Amino acid sequence: MKFIFALVASAIALSAAPEVAFKEYKLKNGLRVILSEDHSAPTYSIAVTYNVGSRDEKAGRTGFAHLFEHMMYQGSENVGKGEHFSLIQNNGGDMNGTTSADRTNYFEMLPANQLDLGLFVEADRMKSLVINQANLDNQRNAVQEERRLRIDNQPYGRTFEAIGNTAFDDFGYKHSTIGSMEDLNAATVDDVRAFFKRYYAPNNAVVAIVGDFKSEEALKKVEQYFGSIPSQPAPPQPDVAEPEQRAERRKTSEDQFAQIPRVDIVYKVPAGNSPDIYALDLITDVMGAGQSSRLYQSMVKDKELAVQSVSFLQSQRGTSLLLFVGLVRPGKEIGTLEKSMETEIERLRTEPISEAELARVKMRAKTLHYANIRSSLNRAMELSENAVFYNDPGRINTVEQMYQKVTREDVQRVAKKYFTEENRTVVTTLPQAAKAVAK
Amino acid sequence: MIGLQKLSAAILAGGTLLCAQTPAGTDKDIPLSKVERKNRAPVSKEVLQVKLPKPVEAKLDNGISVLVLEDHRLPTVSVQLLIQGAGGLFDPADRPGLASIVAAMMKEGTTTLSSRQISEAIDGLGASLLFNAGFGTSDARVSASGLSENFDQWFALMMSTLETANFPDGELQKLKQRQLTGLKQQRTQSSFLVHEMFRKAVYGKFPASIVTSTPASLQAITSEELRAWRDRRYVPQNSILAIAGDVNAKTLIPKLNRMTAEWKKSDYRAVMPDTPKAAEGRKVFLVDRPNSVQTNLMMGNLAIDRASPDYAALTVMNRVLGGGAASRLFTNLREEKSYTYGAYSGFEASELVGPWLANSEVRTAVTEGAMTEFLKELNRIRDEKVPAAELEQAQHSIVSKFALSLEQPSEVLSYATTRKRFSLPDNYWETYPARIAAVTPDDIERVAKKYIVPANMQIVAVGDASKIKAVMEKYGTVSVYNADGSPVAQ
Repeated sequence: MKFIFALVASAIALSAAPEVAFKEYKLKNGLRVILSEDHSAPTYSIAVTYNVGSRDEKAGRTGFAHLFEHMMYQGSENVGKGEHFSLIQNNGGDMNGTTSADRTNYFEMLPANQLDLGLFVEADRMKSLVINQANLDNQRNAVQEERRLRIDNQPYGRTFEAIGNTAFDDFGYKHSTIGSMEDLNAATVDDVRAFFKRYYAPNNAVVAIVGDFKSEEALKKVEQYFGSIPSQPAPPQPDVAEPEQRAERRKTSEDQFAQIPRVDIVYKVPAGNSPDIYALDLITDVMGAGQSSRLYQSMVKDKELAVQSVSFLQSQRGTSLLLFVGLVRPGKEIGTLEKSMETEIERLRTEPISEAELARVKMRAKTLHYANIRSSLNRAMELSENAVFYNDPGRINTVEQMYQKVTREDVQRVAKKYFTEENRTVVTTLPQAAKAVAK
Repeated sequence: MIGLQKLSAAILAGGTLLCAQTPAGTDKDIPLSKVERKNRAPVSKEVLQVKLPKPVEAKLDNGISVLVLEDHRLPTVSVQLLIQGAGGLFDPADRPGLASIVAAMMKEGTTTLSSRQISEAIDGLGASLLFNAGFGTSDARVSASGLSENFDQWFALMMSTLETANFPDGELQKLKQRQLTGLKQQRTQSSFLVHEMFRKAVYGKFPASIVTSTPASLQAITSEELRAWRDRRYVPQNSILAIAGDVNAKTLIPKLNRMTAEWKKSDYRAVMPDTPKAAEGRKVFLVDRPNSVQTNLMMGNLAIDRASPDYAALTVMNRVLGGGAASRLFTNLREEKSYTYGAYSGFEASELVGPWLANSEVRTAVTEGAMTEFLKELNRIRDEKVPAAELEQAQHSIVSKFALSLEQPSEVLSYATTRKRFSLPDNYWETYPARIAAVTPDDIERVAKKYIVPANMQIVAVGDASKIKAVMEKYGTVSVYNADGSPVAQ
């Protein structure tokens, strides 16, 4: 054989949940390959996760990682501009690409007889992306329309930008993934070329393939299509360490489309694989998941201060955010809602949650885990992302157990640790007219 | 990402993950497009032969039609219960939203359980239970899912809410207050405004034109009305119960007979309204949304119901025109002109005749350019024969996509539910690929000419009227509305 694969890891057996069995390999050019056979449907999915996201962007180039993602569909040596989508869709597949602060991924789901197709299109663009001014201008416009569609033309569209901007100090997470119109306008063809060379190298990516194939055969094909792509020097990793926050931060912004004031109470919490994250995530369920949750029962139903109130964890490789959100009931004061939500948050610190609550959120974690591993695509995305983020693709099999181990004491301990006034950021979004009146 | 996600939270957060759909392709011989076909990628020409697993079918003692699809890959079960005749299409004229309030109140209290006890019971089992009765649809729909290990418990809970929900007045008053705010909030979104005006434009006074309740209707609704609606319309003989997942069909069916025994059949049968007619004469409806940075364009007209013999031809036509990122509208308006993040077409076909439509959100400055390209593409699919290669790709795409659904038992079962719901022949899905493959360029031309009639097209634009009114006047007589849906004096 002209190539050598190194067997790096295999799946960890678990007693309870159905296990996602996989094998991991590394090509000589540094490409990590994860293969997981599943012959229960004649399909497969491929996910390529690149270790680059908007947290790698520099000031003046916000939105660039995502703009680059669009460029990946503009053609390569053997795939024409726009041909990618018709190749996949016309052969019964589905595909997309997404960019977050922490990574960029590209994926296809296809019938099992099209194994070569998915590998070929991913390898061809990793190897030989076509970069020119016309394509850049075209996709810059499309991305700016995406920004208008999702952010600028939506009620509360800019709230999440205000949260990141206020809570974070480090530039990586402080700015939004979609970026500013000005920075998108500033991006050049040279930027695209440099970004491609630096980040879109086999040694900066993980390919996961899940579904109906034989591993030995798939591995040969991966080597055939990806093996000749040269590796590049390892790109620098951003330092996204946050300085300790010492005082509460507050920000009020206006929204020209919103009709109802909204308050976001936000706490900084550790990285998405830290030991405390599981108890913190379960807290968001106790507080915000389902109609039995505390915020729904108290803010929406009993006190009637909010029309909607939820909680969620924005999990990241670096510092993550935990949010409690309330939309003010007309006729009620935003300050009253905020105080009342803070009282509920304080209760997590002063008394343990009930046994029934803990059992309920653990049950939910179990159900969600099954939903999460149902499709081959989700499994491919999780395997490759966990490899990129935490060097731990097997986390797909262990993460659910981490939730099941959480105790009531853990919940109270993490609440005490993170839900402090100094660690809090409060972002208020007011309808434009209402604010004018308030002045 | 950690495994746990929350849909409502994700919606509130907005833009945490940027899902970026991207380019499209068409044939080299289509001059409009700058996309390029190199045809060098290794493609298997074969369509993978897929056999959709067939569910076990049964009729329960009380008349429920049951479909069960066993799938033991994961220890979970999903349930869909369709109740014909309980949807918003049958809302009384002075009570828009009645059907949806009935559905929304189903978990707010039964003869034995309070609202809170119900939600704690469902959440405690790790299950989900949703009642829904959409506007303009003939069915109410109950969706439940959970673990197979406690299926009996959550299924029993679903049945007991269905049978014994008692619509307590205190909860109804609270719900009304929440919904009143919702009525206000939905008007902040251009996607709601375009949908509302489009349904009015194509359905006119027909009941399916209604997409929302009103404050007056909400205020007027009483617990008695809700109870009467449920008692009359939530009946087993008009229902289809579809269960997919980790169950044993053989033992499940007798068990279902026991577990649904208290749900008594009646002789009620919903009477469908008359068939609506397509709107005539081209009209433009402009909804003013000051400061909007995009124009949300939607155009179309009524076309077919689900039993129509034109269904297969229209499916293929739509795939060519605007059904996805590889179709003409996306290629032209996004990839060639970069006016938009996406441009699509689609059609709705149920028991009732539904519309075909084309839609895109474009930046305000290119509203006219976008209209020009829409009309160009709509005329082209009528006036020019679809090239054989483009047609073949569309057909290939539709047929070969069946394989992907085999990963999701609930999706496989939904095919059978559709067949049952619309009384399609038993071998409908077995013969479907052949029907798609049989569609010819002449068929496409025929259905395009029949349904896409620019002279009768209803065009809705939601955007900043001060900037786009003059543009929209080029496409027909414009009537202007405000975000409340009321006409604005011009």
